[in-house]
Amino acid sequence: MVRTLFWMLCIIVPGTLSAQEIRLPQNPLEGRIVFEEKGCIECHQLGGYGGTAGPSLSKDLYFGTVLELATIIWNHTPQMNRKFRQMRVSRPEFTEKEMTDLFGFLYYLRYLGEPGGVARGKKLLESKGCRQCHSLGGSGGGVGVPLDSITVTASPLYIVQSMWNHVPAMKEQISKTNLVYPELSGQDIADITAYIRQATMNTTVVGGAAPGDPHLGREIFASKGCNDCHMTGEGKRKIIAPNLSRIELRESVTETASLMWNHGPMMLQHMEDRSIDWPRFEGNEMADLIAYLYFLDFEDKPGDPKKGEGVFAARGCGSCHGKNGSGKGPDLATITHFDSPIRMIQLMWNHAQSMEDMLITQNKHWPELTGDEMRNLYAYIREATKK
Amino acid sequence: MEISRRDFVKLIGGISGSVALGGCALDEVLEIPERIVRRMRTGPGLETWKNTVCGLCPAGCGMSVRLIDSVPVGIKGNGQYPVNQGGLCPLGLNALHLLYHPDRLKGPVRRVGNPGSGKWEPVSWDEALTTIADRLTELRRSGRSREVAVLGNTERGVMEEHLRRFLTSYGSPNYFRFSPEQNDSVPFALVHGRPDIPSFDLLGAGLVLSFGANFLEDGWSPVYYTKLYSRHREQQTRYIQVESRMSMTASNAERWIPVRPGTYGALALGIAYVLIREDLFNERFVRNDTFGFEDWVDTAGTKHIGFRNIVLGNYYPEKVSEITGVPAATILELGRLVGSTPKTVVIGGSGAGDNTNGTFSQMAVQSLNALLGNYDPGGGVFFHGHAPLDRFPDLTLDGPAKAGIRAEPLGGPGKDAYPLTGFSIDRFAKNVAAEEPYPLSVLFLYGGNPLFQALNHQDLSAALKKVPLVVSFDTIINETSEYANLVLPEHTFLENWGEVSDVPTVGFSHLGIRQPVVEALHDTRNAGDVFIELARRIGGAVGSSAPFTDYLGGLKHAVRGLYRSGEGSVVTRGQKTRWLEYLQQRGWQSGRYSSFDEFWDQLLTHGGWWNPVRRDGKAGGKFPTPSGKYEFYSRKLMDELHARADRGGTTDSRGNLESLLSRLDIAARGDNVALPHHEPVPYEGDRPLYLVTFQVLPNRDGVGAALPMMQEMFGYAVHAHWESWVEIHPETAAAAGISSGDWTWVESSVGSVRVRARVTPGIMPDVVAIPFGMGHTSYGRYARGYGVNPNTILRNLHDRLSGKPATGATKIRISRAV
Repeated sequence: MVRTLFWMLCIIVPGTLSAQEIRLPQNPLEGRIVFEEKGCIECHQLGGYGGTAGPSLSKDLYFGTVLELATIIWNHTPQMNRKFRQMRVSRPEFTEKEMTDLFGFLYYLRYLGEPGGVARGKKLLESKGCRQCHSLGGSGGGVGVPLDSITVTASPLYIVQSMWNHVPAMKEQISKTNLVYPELSGQDIADITAYIRQATMNTTVVGGAAPGDPHLGREIFASKGCNDCHMTGEGKRKIIAPNLSRIELRESVTETASLMWNHGPMMLQHMEDRSIDWPRFEGNEMADLIAYLYFLDFEDKPGDPKKGEGVFAARGCGSCHGKNGSGKGPDLATITHFDSPIRMIQLMWNHAQSMEDMLITQNKHWPELTGDEMRNLYAYIREATKK
Repeated sequence: MEISRRDFVKLIGGISGSVALGGCALDEVLEIPERIVRRMRTGPGLETWKNTVCGLCPAGCGMSVRLIDSVPVGIKGNGQYPVNQGGLCPLGLNALHLLYHPDRLKGPVRRVGNPGSGKWEPVSWDEALTTIADRLTELRRSGRSREVAVLGNTERGVMEEHLRRFLTSYGSPNYFRFSPEQNDSVPFALVHGRPDIPSFDLLGAGLVLSFGANFLEDGWSPVYYTKLYSRHREQQTRYIQVESRMSMTASNAERWIPVRPGTYGALALGIAYVLIREDLFNERFVRNDTFGFEDWVDTAGTKHIGFRNIVLGNYYPEKVSEITGVPAATILELGRLVGSTPKTVVIGGSGAGDNTNGTFSQMAVQSLNALLGNYDPGGGVFFHGHAPLDRFPDLTLDGPAKAGIRAEPLGGPGKDAYPLTGFSIDRFAKNVAAEEPYPLSVLFLYGGNPLFQALNHQDLSAALKKVPLVVSFDTIINETSEYANLVLPEHTFLENWGEVSDVPTVGFSHLGIRQPVVEALHDTRNAGDVFIELARRIGGAVGSSAPFTDYLGGLKHAVRGLYRSGEGSVVTRGQKTRWLEYLQQRGWQSGRYSSFDEFWDQLLTHGGWWNPVRRDGKAGGKFPTPSGKYEFYSRKLMDELHARADRGGTTDSRGNLESLLSRLDIAARGDNVALPHHEPVPYEGDRPLYLVTFQVLPNRDGVGAALPMMQEMFGYAVHAHWESWVEIHPETAAAAGISSGDWTWVESSVGSVRVRARVTPGIMPDVVAIPFGMGHTSYGRYARGYGVNPNTILRNLHDRLSGKPATGATKIRISRAV
């Protein structure tokens, strides 16, 4: 199945993407400061921490690209405003940078993954055949590195990076025996790591990986020669391997790493055929690389301005933002050019309170939007404000 | 130049906030080198800030120093540093007064008169170091290396490592710290089996029951606890303070329970009685994770009585009420409240611990935490890991060093005294004065002011006179360094490198980096550098024991461990506990640095590192006691007593123990000895009132007296300035014909002090209290001659097991002075 997928994706796609409109946060984790200091955490949980007045942002329901997430937030604005009033707290306002940081952070959370389960990890270690080569607690095979020796760290990313680096050696070993190359999915690596940590009593993460930096990941993508074969949508290039912009990589780092691991033997074969060296990763490189790939989907696909104009009209935006200043809100033509969806979201968020008050007094409903409508609306506003 | 309070108030009138350097007004108060004044007058006026860690008390709060043209002009709390979270006590806020203190030594000096004569002459560093190194070399050559000692104070971490390393490689077992830490840890070690003082989750508590822990003013870190307390107000955490006088903490508590000094443990056991009697204790934890609760039989078949039956038989409320003065109904009510309030945390402090029975009292207090199951994961008592600093390379000892360190330490546990302590100032002073078991030839005094702080002034001064060469590192000469032959002034902490890590009871592992915010104003040095230089001059194996060129090299070496570990986080904005836990659960570390240098730069920029993630394991792994459990019955205590009793004793083990207990003046017998119990304090019967002492925030352990603003603030809560007072209950005062403001004589069997009365209902009728910190006879112009030192009239008594000074074991008479 994976092989089929691989070759399907290996079709040469000469597509390009428009230049990114969103400046990626240099450190996506900076947004946690906004999340805490603006009080988001007082209502929304993350991984068990935070208030419960609002929905937990760890749920998949609250995940998406910039405009998808903006849609979710926009649609529950009236509920959120009611909560603010009940709790007697002020609705926070955001600068454009704060909004960028916040969205980058919320998007990044899924990348960080979830804690592993020890019991499942133990079963996996057996069922995947790892113990046939690797010993743990004195039992198991002696071909591979004893898992007890992993005393330096117990970070899932560190383990998967080590696994990746030993794909060539492992493939060779497998060819000598009748072992089956173990494929991984979902939380497998996190679970296995959790078990190794407990089994080796190494309960502390020491010298582990830091969450990846997408900017550094982009450099690694180039320096390791990944872009010799893969394309990401950034620039034109003839490609011989999957176009990564077309693969769903918005998963946790260990899930993406598992995907890489699973296609390791195939990729190794491919590279050997072309006398290309196997790329090895050190330190934080794999985390950075996957962060880069992860953020390829941060920005939305372009919307349709024509349809957006229809949304603008259908949702009644024009009644306030009418041309020639006919509404209570500013005419779009007078607004500074929108060069980023974040700017639109920031303005929408900051004026949502007064807008809701006005709608209530006019006996109008809150204009909910779908994700597509939001994309198209942005495309229209971007055009309409173009100077 | 002497300065009166009136002069001081006039001089500082109208000046607030940062120091007006170069201004005429403060020339009388501060002494600022001309080059600094010139820089301030002619510089471009550039403002910068540097983070460092306070050195005025062991808490080590993070501070941000404001610099104009690189000259320190103001101080505020470092908002990112987790211990104090932007707060600072008055001492820290006024630390610049220490930097610019007119009585700071400008360079090394040699005493030319008698101790206390104030006659000193300048000496060069080279001459001073040559004198010391020659003496050390000569002693070592003649096989007398054990005759050298370092009496330190609250230094920990890297400085402690430097001092210990120097003495060990030189060949002496006599490195001691006159610090409450090792004495305070004794009761915890007995019940937990580990020497570290635990942390208490006051933030997550529903009710805090404090036995004499005046943590808003006293203890390890008042600012840390003040920050917690402010959260408690928001969370409506309930607070009950058990204490003989209404301290700052008691006055902020929901309820103050007055208790007689020396009876805190009895009250704790009275509460334990109610918990057990009414089944309000955590039966599962007690059954699975404690030892000695029920009656038991040892391997020899001997029956032992358990904690349950001891408590039920001896500590019922009416009996406890007779001992403590707390009404029986209150004890019953407290027990029910403690047992029924979720997340009750019990904490013991100096009120409970600073007495001859302090160890037993603290064991009794901790038994309440065990009964409540507070050691379970997520519970109210926990142990956090230590900052993962790299240790210094192993030492290679030569023959003289090996022989020297085998000698009996001069300040360690004695045959008949303080069997559980690493150091007792009482034993140290007596041994040095008596030259038993050998004389002391060289004594280094590092930090603190033991002659002012200890209870055995006469013994200690006699001891200091016996030492031919005493070397001090004080920056201002104090009562103890008056006895030094040489004073080699260390930088103030604002000019110095250093670190403060893992302050006891603070609820997370941490390290604050101290960096020079200004170049040394005078000809002073880092004490670590001085010991490295001495090691080099002595040469041989001692010389090669110093693996770093300077103290900073050792500091960086240690900090590399933090960098490599990947644990915790530099204290940058937004690195809060829950976020760090979130990352760690997923196998991530929080920070990333391209090199150690980058990590080091970040540490200096932000001021420190912390790791707040609790590592709660199952209760069983927490207690390395002989039973592997929390021990109501301390086997370690009984083993230690038996071993000590049998050493040099007869074959009658029981008789040996009986004899030892008598010598230690311990009244309990049988299983009671190893169980928490009320051990009566040997108060003198001919005096009616108990005397207790307490610390105030602007002064702490006496250090604040050097700073004029702190003298002004000394009695900020009672409108007393630059003077001491005695607190007395209105009934007691009326009986003695004393009114507020009257001069009184407070007289103990040791001596008497003349002090003004302050009549207040915030103290028990049979107790009086005098603040500690005033009454200096040295320590600079602002400290000398103001107020009284209550320690001078306290009996020279110490905790029988830990050697901790018993400041609550004296009774007095009070009369109106005419």
